[in-house]
Amino acid sequence: MYQRSAAIVGAAHSQLGEVPGSTAIGLMADAAVAAVVDAGLTPSDIDGIVVRGPDDEYCFHQQLGERLGLNASFSTSLDNGGASQSLAVILASLAIEAGLATAVLCGYARNSWTRTRRSGSRNARMNQSTHARIREWRDSFGYFGEPATHALGAQRHMATYGTTKEHLGHVAVSVREHATRNPHAQIRWPLTMDEYMDGRPITDPFGIYDCSLRTDGAGAVVVTDVARARDLPHTPVIVRGFGSQNNLRGWTVDDHMVQTAAKASGELAYRSADVSPSDIDTAQLYDCFTYMLLVQIEDYGFCEKGEGGEFISAGALGLDGEIPTNTSGGQLSEGHVEGMLQVVEGVRQLRHEYPAERQVTDAELALVSGHGGNTVCHSTLILERGR
Amino acid sequence: MSTSASETTAESVGAPRTIPRPTSESRYFWDACARHELVIQRCTSCGRCWFPPSNHCQYCWSEDFAWTPVSGRGELYTFTVFRRAYASELVEQIPYVVGVVELEEGPRLITNITECETAHVRVGMPVEVVFNDIAEGFTLHAFRPREDPQSPGTGAV
Ligand SMILES: [Zn+2]
Repeated sequence: MYQRSAAIVGAAHSQLGEVPGSTAIGLMADAAVAAVVDAGLTPSDIDGIVVRGPDDEYCFHQQLGERLGLNASFSTSLDNGGASQSLAVILASLAIEAGLATAVLCGYARNSWTRTRRSGSRNARMNQSTHARIREWRDSFGYFGEPATHALGAQRHMATYGTTKEHLGHVAVSVREHATRNPHAQIRWPLTMDEYMDGRPITDPFGIYDCSLRTDGAGAVVVTDVARARDLPHTPVIVRGFGSQNNLRGWTVDDHMVQTAAKASGELAYRSADVSPSDIDTAQLYDCFTYMLLVQIEDYGFCEKGEGGEFISAGALGLDGEIPTNTSGGQLSEGHVEGMLQVVEGVRQLRHEYPAERQVTDAELALVSGHGGNTVCHSTLILERGR
Repeated sequence: MSTSASETTAESVGAPRTIPRPTSESRYFWDACARHELVIQRCTSCGRCWFPPSNHCQYCWSEDFAWTPVSGRGELYTFTVFRRAYASELVEQIPYVVGVVELEEGPRLITNITECETAHVRVGMPVEVVFNDIAEGFTLHAFRPREDPQSPGTGAV
């Protein structure tokens, strides 16, 4: 069993949003340096790197080590899609406990906004899959893009449990409300339900406001052992427990669309941390689409299966709600950095470093999720405010 | 285009389309589609079926299987209506429906739903296969409602 001996001691993100001319590795270096400085550590302290960049960049960890002049006793780049970033913290914690490294940099970077501008590919075939099996069995039928994949799940959930478009709207509106208080968020103006309902249609039931943002940005955290963490400047954030689940059999099989891998990942994480859903003070969930946040609220046990729509519509995600969620604005409004900003926000909330208007009162435990890899991979962190 | 019964499918789902390049594992499936037959692999050892095609049974890893014609009937497990074109050749086809059909034999297929107003497509509706000859020697499957989708009582999960 994991002995809870790892803590996050540094956290940072790069500039977010539209950063013309940016590269993923450049943004990664910005966030990494800022996280190490935030930790009160120096370059020679870092001996581990677990990162991920755009899917077409080979050995991203190697690029980062070269740029920052770091060798590492433990390093790799991950390939679990949006589940990779929480998984990086899990691997870092295990590596530290096993003595493979003493201070591990975890991070993710992308330059999605810049890439889209540069290629001018908005109306071209922007999502043709590089994966032969997907080209053959999806592209042939005009099935492109991640919105459709999640929309298939949303539609099934709506038919099964009576979830409505308005319920999804409450996710978008709640998360945007958090973003209005985040000066770094890519979109900060309030979203009304009318605007949501009038959003440009994409793929039913999703309109533009159900979809996360195209972002240039990076996030990074530094993980070290708890004893060392107590001597560093910030209140340590203990990695109290974690879980993962990968429904590799596929998204369209079994009931994976409506009870996602978050369910089993969460159960492992709760057991590992020895806590229950009602103990969690704030959730930072992977909101690539509104539906994905809604279904995770259910899968993590914050409400009953099928009741996520009503629960969220009653204000559950707000700062004073039942489970303040995506308090920085999430990927729907702060910026889509594949779950890495969720880790950073979890740390900041547990450090109590925000002004009252953004701070979850007395936050002691945060749940952070990552989801991706063609929608079937999932990882969960349970973080705790240290002493 | 073919002059077969699938012509309306071609009209509503549209050509030109991405023509998949069959692999050694999928060629038999696509060749059968071209003959307007829907086939899937059935394991000779455990009797279960799987899709898409691959050389091992997903349940017992046996390499012994038989290509088996299926009824072509099933239910619409879920669907989405594309309102936005992700490929320039699909601009004219918007809106079109991508669905996941659960065959009576068990496996679920990603496909198109055709011969049905997008507003009338419902999760759970009974569907049957049709074939869309999109190029010389190449055919995609699609599914259409088995009942009038506007009649009362259809479309429930
Ligand atoms: Zn078998």
